[in-house]
Amino acid sequence: MTERHEGTMQYKFDMENNEKIKEILREVYEALKEKGYNPINQIVGYILSGDPTYITSYKNARAKIRKLERDEILEELLMSFIEEK
Amino acid sequence: MEKLLIEGGKRLFGNVVISGAKNAAVAILPAAILSDEGICKIDNLPQIEDIYCLEKMLAEIGASIKKEGKDCIIIDPSGIKSHIATGEEVRKMRASYYLIGALLSKYGKAEVVFPGGCPIGVRPIDQHIKGFEALGAKVLIEHGIIKVYAEEGLKGSSIYLDVVSVGATINIMLAACKAKGTTIIENAAKEPHVVDVANFLNAMGANIKGAGTDVIKVTGVEHLKGCEYSVVPDQIEAGTYMIAAAATKGDVTLINVIPKHLESITAKLIEMGVDIEEGEDTIRVSCKDKTHGVNVKTLPYPGFPTDLQQPLSVLLSISEGRSIITENIWEARFKHVDELKRMGANIKVEGKIALIEGVEKLSGADVVATDLRAGAAMVIAGLVAEGYTTISSIRHIDRGYENIEDKLRGLGAEIKRIKTDEREFECD
Repeated sequence: MTERHEGTMQYKFDMENNEKIKEILREVYEALKEKGYNPINQIVGYILSGDPTYITSYKNARAKIRKLERDEILEELLMSFIEEK
Repeated sequence: MEKLLIEGGKRLFGNVVISGAKNAAVAILPAAILSDEGICKIDNLPQIEDIYCLEKMLAEIGASIKKEGKDCIIIDPSGIKSHIATGEEVRKMRASYYLIGALLSKYGKAEVVFPGGCPIGVRPIDQHIKGFEALGAKVLIEHGIIKVYAEEGLKGSSIYLDVVSVGATINIMLAACKAKGTTIIENAAKEPHVVDVANFLNAMGANIKGAGTDVIKVTGVEHLKGCEYSVVPDQIEAGTYMIAAAATKGDVTLINVIPKHLESITAKLIEMGVDIEEGEDTIRVSCKDKTHGVNVKTLPYPGFPTDLQQPLSVLLSISEGRSIITENIWEARFKHVDELKRMGANIKVEGKIALIEGVEKLSGADVVATDLRAGAAMVIAGLVAEGYTTISSIRHIDRGYENIEDKLRGLGAEIKRIKTDEREFECD
């Protein structure tokens, strides 16, 4: 009984976390786009290097993306891609 | 001649706003000449001598430079008619070599006088030349002028840098961004200013990927356009104020920083017993107790930066116990040690190693800023020393630190600029 309960809790947390990642990525994407960057290139650069220089401070985008671990972002992107296929 | 006069012993308290990064800005300004259409509006530029010097340099070759506000300039490169930069300004600073990459990219040829800069060791440009040659250019050095020609245009290539070089990495990026095909730079420098320059070029329409990693891919484009850009905060200026705060047992919050860029100095200060609080774009540094000695090795980013070795050596010289600094980047970066010894520091230098035995206190003295970061070290030493310290050759400090005395006064330091009739000390 206890095990089933813990499993459900974990799933709920992941869903929340996934939504948080998506929301932040969208906000960062828009901020980069508004500043005239190629948002995909900039976000990929950040994920590869870990350097926040890639992300504009406009609309607090740099601080927002720093709230996420890069491995979590990659996991979410990969999951979305696989699920879509 | 101007000197800085410091009355030591005051703790630093309050907030200080960090300026834009010198090492990024000195590459971004030359990069702006690559615009084929439109102007570049660049803000968060540090107000320092190296930037004024570059502005003059760009104006000399025909670019129009307009100031807009305190830290913003507009560069219109449409008036540039020459690929030759051999004026007096070019000799004054190291970063003038970025004009080679930029002019070569724009015109397929460049003639730039051998660059100057701080006397911190042999600073070869062989890796820059290796890169230009790999892209198909011919390089000739005659009468102190570097002449680079690519008569058949530049072609993308793979370049493995024998040593990690920020200058070579940026210069090759500049040259390659309009070359035909793709250039791969391996063993590239990963410093934040490399990323900042790549960002700027990408904002102009370039196609550069991987900056901030050790492999950078540059796919040449035919056309670059003007853009608006804000220079990244200066990690070295920030690190200098962090050390000053710790050394004076103060409590200082740095505003406009990227904490990620300061991880190596943050880790070292925590190891020494300093309290650090990171915010989103702030860092608070406070220190109540005596710090203890640590060992430091300078390395390319993300390792401990050589530019902060000299300032940190001051803090180590008044920390408890023994510290060892290993300077792995430049071979003449301990010139400030003789000056620190005049203030009572106990430091022995042997090759690239400095052995520091912590002392109770430093005492004020007349000292010389032998180079830019040595000057910053002398300022910190003056802040912690008993009595008065005067620092000469402060032109080195003005090259890289914006309004250092105003910023420090804002934190409670007793520091002022004084004029004397003495002649300027010339370092070798």
